[in-house]
Amino acid sequence: MNTPVMSLQNVVVSFFSHGKRVEALRGISLDVASGECLALIGESGSGKTTALRAGLALLPLSGGRAALFGEDLRQVSKGRRVELRRRCGYIPQDPFGCLPPTVTALETVAEPALLQSSRNGKREVFEKSMALLAECGLGEKRIVESKVSTSLSGGQRQRVSIARALAADPALILADEPTSMQDASNRGKILEILLKRVNRGAAMVLTTHDLYLAAAAANLGIVLYHGHIVERGPTKALLAEGLHPYTRALAQALPRLGKKAARPPVAEKTEDFGPLACPFAPRCPERFERCRQAPPLVNLSPGRDAACWRS
Amino acid sequence: MIRVQSLSVDYRTNEGYVAALKGLSLDIPKKEVTAIVGESGSGKSTLLYSVLRLLPPGTKVKGSIIAEASDVLAMNYEKLNRFRWNRCALILQGAMSSFTPVLSIGNQIAETIIHHRGLSSREALLKTSELLERVGLPAAFVSRYPHELSGGQKQRAAIAMAISCDPDFLLADEPTTALDVITQAEITVLLAELVAEKGMGLCMVTHDLPLALSLCHNLAVMKEGEIVEAGRPEIILEKPRHPHTVELVESIRKLEEGSIAK
Repeated sequence: MNTPVMSLQNVVVSFFSHGKRVEALRGISLDVASGECLALIGESGSGKTTALRAGLALLPLSGGRAALFGEDLRQVSKGRRVELRRRCGYIPQDPFGCLPPTVTALETVAEPALLQSSRNGKREVFEKSMALLAECGLGEKRIVESKVSTSLSGGQRQRVSIARALAADPALILADEPTSMQDASNRGKILEILLKRVNRGAAMVLTTHDLYLAAAAANLGIVLYHGHIVERGPTKALLAEGLHPYTRALAQALPRLGKKAARPPVAEKTEDFGPLACPFAPRCPERFERCRQAPPLVNLSPGRDAACWRS
Repeated sequence: MIRVQSLSVDYRTNEGYVAALKGLSLDIPKKEVTAIVGESGSGKSTLLYSVLRLLPPGTKVKGSIIAEASDVLAMNYEKLNRFRWNRCALILQGAMSSFTPVLSIGNQIAETIIHHRGLSSREALLKTSELLERVGLPAAFVSRYPHELSGGQKQRAAIAMAISCDPDFLLADEPTTALDVITQAEITVLLAELVAEKGMGLCMVTHDLPLALSLCHNLAVMKEGEIVEAGRPEIILEKPRHPHTVELVESIRKLEEGSIAK
């Protein structure tokens, strides 16, 4: 196999919040190669965004190793780190906070490409940015020329942010809930735009809480819970028959055409299982004594790993 | 039943009036869930706000809204005040921001009960604890402040507040957006239970068609200020007739089946 484009090995990230140490990632490992899309699946607070940021070394690691294009981000110089990051397109989760407030949509999209290529003519960059905006359904003159901060809706801003991330033809796309603000009829289109880049050889890591979206976008998925990888496997298998009780709860809680609302299979959150316990134990409907000790992530069948004593 | 007929709403802007609702009609029956599905900007929230007359001053409203024989648009302030919460309550979009941060959850819910039901503060607080327990929160949460609750807990508290005066109708604006999928499923089940238990009419606005279908008895699809299709959900799902509904159902089917160019 060729070198992974992005690689995390036993990455630990901790924050200090109210004087307490909070571990956002507790030793996770993942690789994504060129032409591959990996889905990071989990609820808010599970560590999806932190994993993307750790992959770009945008936050300090408390342990483990993060590499881009085979180069360890802690070993390389600051300048080299910037060069490596420039080959990545990052679509942050919040399109309200991540775009420059004073320039037009077109300038916003062109900015990263202009910064990077002096040999490309300015005109060429603008033409390409125009095409990207049109591809994202924002080709109207009124939108192209308006300031992002004052005239665009959340969904439109998110699409500007996607076009911006794609402007410099990134080799790695990090998409943090890229369709969270899109209407149903637009979500598929956005996914197609991103997957087109993957088909042309880009690597992509996409975060989502929606297992259907994960299955539509990626072949391989990782389910995160409280900073732990609880399951890893083909997204279709995660959706249809998760090995971890949390994966199954996620799949069953998702609304689906023709399915009536039903109580999701999680337990009343009560007992404290202690700091060493399985992270899902407090809500797990299948918990038992052994869960006081967190289970390791083990390989259960070809291509499928889970961290649960019961599976 | 709340009967909305030929309702038009035009917002006043710097560039003149902009039509948000274009003469739409809708019935919201009691004891059932009516879901309004539409994309952003289709006028779903405007429709809910019109029913409680919460639109900004200067907005042009035409048509009629009749809530069980009383004409909402003709009510004076006192009547309107009695109509709100007592007969028709609202769960705002983003429960996160619908509580004031400086008062405890219990005080805020009790305040509504005292104001609209005339209970003493002791009785109101007692009722508040019961309400919190009904929506799945510990009674001790009466003394908690909004920032001490998670998003899902705040949403439950907002539901407790909305049912605090036993309304006949409950309007809910995107009651589960910004919640995790598991919490969303729990809240959805809670709403369905409350409708069955109290015989309320729930009118829920959402952009999520599968979610709407999971609990509604009546479905209305909105686009650009109009209801383009309405009826029994299973029939609409089976045979969508308006091109917009067809596109909506198709796009969701495509995503669920994973048939996107990979």
